[in-house]
Amino acid sequence: MENPFAEEPKPTAAWLWQVFTGIGLVILLGLHFIANHFIAKGGLRDFADVVAYLRNPVILVLEILFLLCVTSHALLGVRAILVDLGLSEQAEKRVSQALTLLGVLTVGYGLWVTWAVIR
Amino acid sequence: MKTLEVALQIFRYKPHESAHYDTFTVEVAETAHVIDAIDAVWAVHDRSLTFRRACHHSSCGSCALLINKVEKLPCITRVTKVWDGRTPVRLDPLRNFPIVSDLVVDVTAFFQRMSAANMEITRDAEPSLPLTVEDFAIAGVPPKAVQIPDNLSRFNRFENCIECGICMSACPTMAADEKFLGPAGLAAIYRARQKTAEPRTVAHLLGLADGEHGVWRCHSAFECTEACPQAVDPAGKIMALRRELTARRFKQFWKR
Amino acid sequence: MTALKYPKVQRAGRWFDVRRRRLGMWAYAVNRITGIGLVVYLYLHLAVLSLLSRGPETWDSFVSMARSPFYLSLDVILLAGILIHGLNGLRIALTGFDVGVRQQKMLFGVLMLGAAILLAVAALKIFGG
Repeated sequence: MENPFAEEPKPTAAWLWQVFTGIGLVILLGLHFIANHFIAKGGLRDFADVVAYLRNPVILVLEILFLLCVTSHALLGVRAILVDLGLSEQAEKRVSQALTLLGVLTVGYGLWVTWAVIR
Repeated sequence: MKTLEVALQIFRYKPHESAHYDTFTVEVAETAHVIDAIDAVWAVHDRSLTFRRACHHSSCGSCALLINKVEKLPCITRVTKVWDGRTPVRLDPLRNFPIVSDLVVDVTAFFQRMSAANMEITRDAEPSLPLTVEDFAIAGVPPKAVQIPDNLSRFNRFENCIECGICMSACPTMAADEKFLGPAGLAAIYRARQKTAEPRTVAHLLGLADGEHGVWRCHSAFECTEACPQAVDPAGKIMALRRELTARRFKQFWKR
Repeated sequence: MTALKYPKVQRAGRWFDVRRRRLGMWAYAVNRITGIGLVVYLYLHLAVLSLLSRGPETWDSFVSMARSPFYLSLDVILLAGILIHGLNGLRIALTGFDVGVRQQKMLFGVLMLGAAILLAVAALKIFGG
């Protein structure tokens, strides 16, 4: 009888990316939070404040990195939960593809909103 | 000898019948272990009760089951520890294994995992396997004609793991993913890896652990280490494998 | 041997059943639940940010609504979720690389205490102005 556990599977890096984006978020989310809610007067930025904030190139880069990190981490997390539902290999592939697409759309949307503000 | 009466509520399942619970009351010695109470149920009340037991001292791993919903070895769990005098002691088979009958689960896939990590059970190799020239001499084989297989050491293992399956039952990822190597399988890979320095074997063992259903699937619940009756610490072994695999990836990355 | 029909083995919702489970399992369940909450929040937040594309009036009126005590309370709950998920996540990262595995329970206690302190400080700032 063939032993299904004896074949070397494809290596996977999803968990590693989850951890790296997570650590990235501790820093980037921390910065995002402090900049938007503790430095900003009154704890919230009105429209003019948001424009000035995002027009700063350092801030812009950090916020885009943050967007990439948080979207990856969130969707990798969703993937982990869905994969735990006991899906077939086919279904797992479809889930990964769908979440990748959702991730691209999310980042694209975030970039569009940012562009709409700073132009 | 002081005795006590204990009530047991036991999971029952036979193929072609639906699962249910039966409650039995038996009299056992005050110092009895839960396995003695199960024996008594079988002997006195219901000969169709199916369960595994052997050594009665936590070295064979046969009797593992759930006592009051927690994984334990009934052979070393005293009745007085789990019986409060009123609520029947609840007995269920291990989780995450197919149920054959009552408290017996199908452990085929479990031993396939162990075998994949080079940890086969070789019952007929112990202790009747001739290990020395003297052993062969007793059987009348002259010394010059003796041929002892040179990988004999794999038939003699000294390790904490008794292959009871308790960690697999306690693991939430085993519940979700039937292809997961599981704490027992991954701890076995770790032990096998520690025993060898041969690069191809090491690469193969680490490769087994490196997939979607290997070390990366663990969600750090640590239930396996908590439940293990033999201090195997499967969670620690999984984390050690992760560290080694990550270090290897970094090294490969820098070498490129 | 004919194949027997066993009762179903795999239970996907098993991670949710923390009864009689130990600390590590509780931490895992809490991380999952806060994670789900935060994903929901992420998309709500991104949706709200679309108001920025409608110009200053729309955004500024939203901001004044967001200053209400009700909203601020929601923010504190959000922050609790972030701190629990993030700090426990650090524990998962550390133990996942074989650091502090033997001390994982104490690590949880220390990090959650840290979360509670940070949350208290933040709540004071949020409501204190």
